[in-house]
This record gives sequence, structure tokens and C-alpha cells, in this order.
Amino acid sequence: MMPDIAQTGQVAGERLPQAEVPAVMLEQVSKWYGNIIGMNDISLAISGGVTGLLGPNGAGKSTLFKILAGKLKPSQGTVRLFGIDPWKNTAPFARIGYVSENDALYDWMTALEFVTTLARLYGYTREEARVKAERVLEFVDLKDVMHKEIGKFSKGMRQRVKIAHALVNDPELIILDEPLQGCDPLARTTIMNVIRELGAMGRTVIISSHILEEIERITEQIVILNHGRLLALGNVHAIRDMLDAHPHSIALSTDRPRELGKAFLDHKEVFGVHFPEEGKLIIRTHNLGALHADLPQLITDSGFSVTAIDNPDDNLESILTYLTGGGD
Amino acid sequence: MAEKPRPLHDKVWSKLDRKATAILELTLRQYRTRLSTWAVLSVGVILVLITVLFYIEAMNSEIEAVDNDGDSVDSDGDGYPDGQENLLGTSMNNANSHPGLFDPPIPPDSAEDWINEDGYDFSSAKLGTSQGYDDDGDCRVKIGEVGWSSWVDENRNNISCDYFFEMRGFDLEVIADPNVDEDPDEDAYFKETLHRSFVLGFGKIGFVFVLGIFVPLFLASGLIRDEIADGTLHYLVAKPISRAEILLYRLLGYVALVWPYFIALAVITGIITGFMGPSDGFFRFQDLLVWFGIALAACLLSLAYAALFMTMGTIHKYGMVAAIVFGVWEFAMAMLSIFEPEATVSRLSISHWGMVIVDGFSNMAWPDSQYLIALGESTSRSSDSPWGERIYSDGMPGTEAFSSFFHTTDLTGNPLQDALIASGVLISMVIIMLVIAQSVFKNKEID
Amino acid sequence: MEADENPNLPDAEFLGQTGAKVEGQTRLEAAYGSGDGDEQSIPSASVAGGTKQHEQAHLGTVFDQSYQSWGGSLNPRWARNWAILRHHVYGLFSKGHRPYGIATKLILFAAFLISLGDLGMSFISAIFSETEMHRVFGVSKDNLYGHVLGFWPRNAICFPIIAALLIGGIISEDRTHGTSAIYFSRPLNRIDYTAMKFLSVAIVLFMLIVGTLGIYYTGDILMQGEGWAFFLDTLPIFLGAALAGTILVFTYSSIGLALSSVSRGKFFPAVALLGIFLGMKLIAFLIYVLFERSVLYLLSPYDCVAHVGQALVGTTSTYDHPWTWSLMSLVVINAIALYILASRVSSMEVTRE
Repeated sequence: MMPDIAQTGQVAGERLPQAEVPAVMLEQVSKWYGNIIGMNDISLAISGGVTGLLGPNGAGKSTLFKILAGKLKPSQGTVRLFGIDPWKNTAPFARIGYVSENDALYDWMTALEFVTTLARLYGYTREEARVKAERVLEFVDLKDVMHKEIGKFSKGMRQRVKIAHALVNDPELIILDEPLQGCDPLARTTIMNVIRELGAMGRTVIISSHILEEIERITEQIVILNHGRLLALGNVHAIRDMLDAHPHSIALSTDRPRELGKAFLDHKEVFGVHFPEEGKLIIRTHNLGALHADLPQLITDSGFSVTAIDNPDDNLESILTYLTGGGD
Repeated sequence: MAEKPRPLHDKVWSKLDRKATAILELTLRQYRTRLSTWAVLSVGVILVLITVLFYIEAMNSEIEAVDNDGDSVDSDGDGYPDGQENLLGTSMNNANSHPGLFDPPIPPDSAEDWINEDGYDFSSAKLGTSQGYDDDGDCRVKIGEVGWSSWVDENRNNISCDYFFEMRGFDLEVIADPNVDEDPDEDAYFKETLHRSFVLGFGKIGFVFVLGIFVPLFLASGLIRDEIADGTLHYLVAKPISRAEILLYRLLGYVALVWPYFIALAVITGIITGFMGPSDGFFRFQDLLVWFGIALAACLLSLAYAALFMTMGTIHKYGMVAAIVFGVWEFAMAMLSIFEPEATVSRLSISHWGMVIVDGFSNMAWPDSQYLIALGESTSRSSDSPWGERIYSDGMPGTEAFSSFFHTTDLTGNPLQDALIASGVLISMVIIMLVIAQSVFKNKEID
Repeated sequence: MEADENPNLPDAEFLGQTGAKVEGQTRLEAAYGSGDGDEQSIPSASVAGGTKQHEQAHLGTVFDQSYQSWGGSLNPRWARNWAILRHHVYGLFSKGHRPYGIATKLILFAAFLISLGDLGMSFISAIFSETEMHRVFGVSKDNLYGHVLGFWPRNAICFPIIAALLIGGIISEDRTHGTSAIYFSRPLNRIDYTAMKFLSVAIVLFMLIVGTLGIYYTGDILMQGEGWAFFLDTLPIFLGAALAGTILVFTYSSIGLALSSVSRGKFFPAVALLGIFLGMKLIAFLIYVLFERSVLYLLSPYDCVAHVGQALVGTTSTYDHPWTWSLMSLVVINAIALYILASRVSSMEVTRE
């Protein structure tokens, strides 16, 4: 899994060797609560790099994470973390870091105490745990406030404490449930950088979020859920390509949209033009590649000035909307 | 950063001591930050202090001396109390007959000399054999007009003017010669029985019961429930540590807080009462055994309740209602255990076994208690009562309280064995509770 | 995606004092007009008449704020209070009101049946015409007193449990869930809030303690076919017992609500109530048995109420100190509890704490 090209971070440190056993493996996992199905026959395997888990509310993302964290038991199917079922055996958690979406922390502890105390549950001595805690708090940029009580932290700092706590045992699998929720833009950037770095180091990171633009900036590997079912899995662009039935759009900003639109109507790949507002033209096509190839020629031939060209729906939001039935 | 993947097989059951101490410290620090901990513990200390103050006040006061045989009165008005006249052979009803007419004349005793003149002669060293001493010399039978027989042996044990104890049926009875120790020093008897009643009553009701049930109810039921309610449980659960361990170490954290508290309170109260209680020396060393038993019972009982309430706390839905109802049931059973020890239904309750431990140790420390009670109670019967037969219808002051708090243990005959059995029962209850708790907890889904 | 680079977007204008006056319509248009930055829209808000200047309000306008208090009419105060009371009391037996757990409802029902136990015995004695039995269980000073204030089993087990269950979450749940914000952002007095919560607990307890007393009293009179003379003779005793029961209910409620306002959970107030009532009774009893000093009974709320009840009903007093002391102590205990309750409620935040 390659990191997104928009990232500017360098690959830091060495990559972990690829393990034979996938970090996360779900086989036909279902979870229901009475009559409500939380997860419906989901099978997937995740290993290495950053994977984004997306879906509207109620899609089953949190349920999936709780099952991975051993908090819930699947009603059907098998879950394996590093080859071990987390409900029965907590051994794999020695290699896992988990950040829950729940905001609760021990507010009366300082950040250092919190991370140190919970680090000792991995079996480290007091000294070892403190050293690791300090190192990981520096990694998330909380070094200067690590002796302050968590109750006095801002939301972004709290999220970073949770992430630090998840990283203290050098985990190979990091599960982040809505890590960016409630954070201000500055905190979001910091956290995203951290996540990107982790992915670049070769660890498996699974992150779920509602903020699609930021997922796009971190990774291209995504998993889409809806109503508990697995909708799509893989690289964002590849998925987009596969959605042939979904018409593509190209948005042009120009001062003479109607005239330009008439010029495009002759092209055989164009099946519609649309004028959403003054100075804008949207061209609809089933074959984006072919149209892209002819686009520059068409524009120069028409002689009109075009100030912007855009693919408004080659992004997660429109994929998501389309797949989940919102639809354009 | 480049390490090979760590082996997983030994990851959970290793380095237990580090994980244990980590959770133990976390629990203790959580207790320290909670107001309810301080409130409960300080209320306990205040209650103990109040009761000890009452004890000190009682020990410092004298109960009114009563002349049980009425021989401090001067019936004939000659200035000599009847008891003195009786002892020296002059007539109690004739003002012209008094020891002042002897040669050399004997000065009159004051009336106070003939109140409680029989003193406190009970000796725990001579339980099986004859007791009692006729201090005022009125254990005599008149022979003819002038003679007195000094040999009086109505209880037919070939010893004159004494009494002894005998089991008649289920009761220990006092078989006495007449007028032996009939005007005892009530204050001495009262102090001794009051002291023992206090240690037992306060130990059983105050320590073992009230503190033993309310401290765990407040402090232990939140051990898991609060973590679930606050949403911080997943920090403990999503770690390479088994859920049974989490329960055990949380309970250990509770023990690390509560046991020293109970032991300290028992030691302080034991020292205060040891110095202030009636004793031949400066300190009642024989009480230490009882206080040890009380501390042991309180610790074990609070541990058993803690395991129970922690378990109830994990069953989130009706666990707490069940805990309240159970608490009230235990209250009823403890009352039954204290005042009706023969009722076997109380064996179903946890508190009963705590009481048995206290009983076992008190029987070991004060083996003469039953005799003391029999003596005090014998005053309420009109015959064969060496002590105070005319005044006390309910027994000597202090007897009633003492007899309600002191019980022999009835499992085996041996009090030490009974105490050990009871301790074993409590410990096995703790283990059973923990087994149930961990299987409930292991199957519990955490949202 | 690159909306911010559109050169057609005008600069923000600061209109200051001459800003457009806000009417409802204008504000709506501005809201619809300003997107989330992705579209190229230029929001425009035109003032709907009434002012001298018509301005184009673009992104970045400052609007003049003028607030007017709502001149409408509220429901009368008693209607609002009744809503709170109804929410709490009806929740016991119908859906759509405050939810009580099934365990709580069952226990309350069981307590109701237990409270009517003496009526049951009286009924049996009436059926079989057992005068001996009726002398034991029928209406008399001791039985009327015992119905509300007898220690065993009512005040040892039954009443403390139901009081603990009722007051458990009554105020603490508002603090934990933040629903106090719902109450205090309405035109509700904090006094009304507290009073209605207090009443809701007190009414249920009153029904279970004094209501059953009334049922027992009337039931027994009817079943025995006693005449008006009997009724008039025993009426003062009944009223005395009812008053004592009311005092008991009031004390349970005030201490319980004070505890509930101090804590955040449902459990701590319930257990603390049990601790105060049963624990203090036990310690006072211990001191009395050991040292024959009944003064510590003044600290036990149950015993204070029982002592006052004995004086009201006219049964023999089982305490050594005068009943006026118990009354004073009761007043002090209730005052402290109500003070704590008042100060906690008045400092409750409107937002979630």
C-alpha cells in the first residue's frame, strides 16, 4: 500500500518486515443486537500501511472497531488479530494500540502518569514505562505539557494523549476510531502527520473518520461500509474507475458557458451539459479518460477563455454519496 | 524500530507482578481522588471515636453502690450497722447491745463499710472448683440461742461457705451456700462485664457489621461499575491482561486501602480500651487476642462483601438494586446472629461467619465469661444466689448486655477450630465470588 | 475545491452603524446564500423594506441586533409544576414518563403489599371471627403506631429500601446526563424544580406509608362493623399516627434528596441513605445497650421520628430523654438536609457538569 501522493512527509525509519499473518482478518463476521444488524457478513484482511474506514452513521464502523478491540463478540464469523481471536485471548493486544471514540480519560492524572500507568499493563517496569511514555508523548508533540492534568487539556490535546497511549508499546497494528473528531484544524494537522508517519513506517493503521478530505490526504486505501455491509475495498481511484455507471463530471469556469457547452455537445462521449450557475459549466460523460484526452483541443478550438477545470466528483464524498445511495 | 514480530504465547500470564502493581496503584490513586472515599472513611473514624468516648466516660464513672443484703442499716439505732453487730454477735434489734460495750470497745464501722463488703471475689483461675469467700461473716447458722455454727455446707461439696458452678441441663448454674458473697462490689463486676460487652458489642456491631458492610458497599461496588459508567474500562481491557486479573488486582487495590484502615482502627481502640479497662496490671493483655479476632473478622468480611458487591457491579442492569436488597438482608441476618445465635438460617449470610470468628477468639481470650454471666444472672433467682439476691430482677448490671453479646461457638467444641472454620468459609466465599465474577466479566460486552 | 481563488468574490465590507437591520427574512437569505466555501455562490441579502438604506449584504456583514422579549403568555406556574410532578410520578405505572427500572417497580409493589399486611391479618380475623387475633391485629394505639413507625420489619427493611430506590437518581441523573439544562433553560424556578422533585418522592412514600395506614384504618373499621363512636374515639390516634408518618416521609425525602443532589450516580445516594438510617440506628442502639445512654438516638433520624411519633400517638415512650429533644433534633436534621439540597441545586449548572 503506497501512501498518497499528496503527502509531503518522507518515509522515516525502516519498514517493518511483512508478517505472514495479516494483522487483521475478518471472515464472514456478523454482529446483531436483537433485530438490528450491526455488521452483515463482512470479510476482509488488512495488513500494512494506513487504511481508511468510511461510511455514514450507523454503517457499523464503530461496531467493527469494538469487535477488533475485543469489547464485543461477533455473533457469527471469525475475527483474528495476528492470528488470534481477541475475544478469547488478550495476548495480541501486546502488539496493538487502540484509540476509542469515547472521550473518557482519567482527568485527574497528568498525561505522563496516564501513559506510564497504562504502559505498565504491558508488562514494562516503572522505569521502562516512563521512558517509553516520555518518548511517545514527544512524538505526539505533548512534551511540554506532559506534567499537566488531563482535565485541563483541550480537545486536541486529549486526542493526542489517547494516541500516545496507544503507541506506547510500539504496536504493529494501530486502530483509531474517529481520532479527528472535535479537533481544531491545528490539532488535526498534527494528528494527521503522526498517522501518516506511522503508516510510512510500515505499521498497519486503521482509521475511521467522517472528515473525508483528511482521509484522502492520508491514504488512498479505503474500506467503505454501509448498513453493516462491505461496499467497496481498495484504492480510491481504482474504485472510482470501476464505477462506470456513475457518470463523471468535468467542471469548467468560463465567462461564456452556454457557448462553450454547445461546442462540447458534439463530442460523442458527452451525454449532457449543465449550467449550475453564472459562469460555470458542467459536462457529463461516461468516459472520463477519452474526454480528458480531447479536452484541451476542444477548448482551444472554441476560443473561449476557461479559467478553471475541475473533477468535482473524483473524491471520496461523491463516491460515498453514490455508493451509499445519496446519489447525484 | 526493526524488530521481528514478538512472540505471543507467553504474553498474558507473564510479568504478573508488574501488571498487578500497576493496577493496584491505579486503584489506590483513584480512591484518593474520590470524595466518597474520604467521606466514608472519616465517618467510620468519627463513629469509632464517639463510641470510644462513651466508653471512656463509662469507665470513669462509678455506678451507684447498692447494699444488697441491707446490712449497712442500723436497725436499732445504736450507731453500729447491722452487719457489724451480726458479725460480732450483738443484737441487731436491741439498742443496748452493741460492740461498744466490749472490752476493749470496738469502734463502729461507717455504713459505707457494709455496702459491697463482699468485694469482687470471682477468680477465673478456679472455675471448676469452689469459689467465693464470706467476707462479712454472715454465712453462719444459728445453733440454739447463742451459738453459731461456722460450718455451713448447703451445697454439699464438703467446703463450708462457698459456691461452685455446675451445668444443669443447658444452663450453667451457681450452687451456693447461703450468704456467701451476697453483697458484692457491683461496680467491679459491672466494669468488667461492661468492658467485655463493649469490646464484643462494638467489635461485632460497630466494626464487623456496620463498617464491614458499608465500607465495601461504598468502595468496592464501584471497582468495575464506575469504570464502565465513566467509559474508561477499555483502557484496562484492551491490554494483554486477562479479565480475571483485572478483577483480582482491583480487589487487591481495595484491600490495600481498607485492611490497614481496619487494622489501625482496631489497634487504636484496643490500646485505648486496654489501658482504660479494669485490669490487675496496667494493660489488659488478654484482650489483644479478641482485638486480633475482631480485626481478622472485619478484614475477611469486608473482603467477602467487596468481592460480592464488585460482582454485582459488573452485572450492570439490576446489580445495584440487588446489592441494596442484599445489604438489608445481611443487616437482618447480622442482627439475628448477634441476638439469636442458634438460628441456623443466619448461616446463609456472610456476616454470620464474621461473628463466629469474633466469638471464637473471645472464647479463647475469656474462657470464664460464661461463669461470669451465670453469676450475674443468678441474682435474678431467689434461691442459690450468692450475689445480690434481693435487688436485681434482671441480673446484675452489665449482665444482660454481656450475655446478649457473648456467645460460645457451636460448630465444634473448640473455639479456635471454629474461628478457623469460619475464616475458611469466608475465604472460600471470596474465591467462589471471584470465580463467578470473572466468568460474568469475561462474557460481558463493553459498549 | 479551489473556491477561495475565485477573483470575482468581493471583499468583505464592514457596514458598522449603518448595517442592515435584521428581520427574519434577511437572515434566512444570508444563511442560504453563504455556503460552506466550496461553491462559488455570492450570497446576497436584501432588506425587506422598512429602512432607509438598501444595502447588499455580502459575506462579512455585521448585522444590528435588536432583541425584544417575547410578549406571549406562558402557562400558569402550577401547570408547569404539575408537568414535572406528573413526569416523575406517572413514570411508575405508565410509559412515556420518567423510566423506572422493572426491579424498582416490583419492589415498590411488594412494599405496598407488605404494608398492607396488617390489614390482611385483620381481614382474616374478621372472616373467622377470631376476637383474640383481632385484638392483636386490629386498630389500636400500638398497631397504628406500629404501621408507620414500627422498626421491624417496616422501618428496618421495607421503608429504607423503597426510599433508597426512589431517591437514587432523582437529582443526580440530571447532573450526570445534563438534563438539568432542559429544566433550567425553561421558565422554571429552581425552587419549583426542587419542590416538585421532592413532592414526587414524598407522594409515593406517603401513599405507601400513610396511605396504607388509612386503608388499614378504614378497612378494619368497616370489616369489624364498628360504629361512629369507635371512629371518633380512635380518630385522634389515627391522625397522630398519620402526622408521624408524614414526618417520617418528609425526613426520608429531605435527607434522600440532599444526598442525591450531592452525588452523581444513582447508587451512592441510595446506599448513603441506608447507611444514615440503619447505621445510625444500630450505633445508637449499641451505645444504649452497653452504656444505657439514649442520647445518641438523637443522631438517628429514625429514632427521632419514632420518639415524636410515640408522643403524638400516645404510646409509651421507649427512650429516656424527652421527646422535645427528638423534635429539635429532627428539625435540625431536616434543616441541614434542605440547606444542602438548596445550595447544591442553586449551583447546578445549566450546561452539563
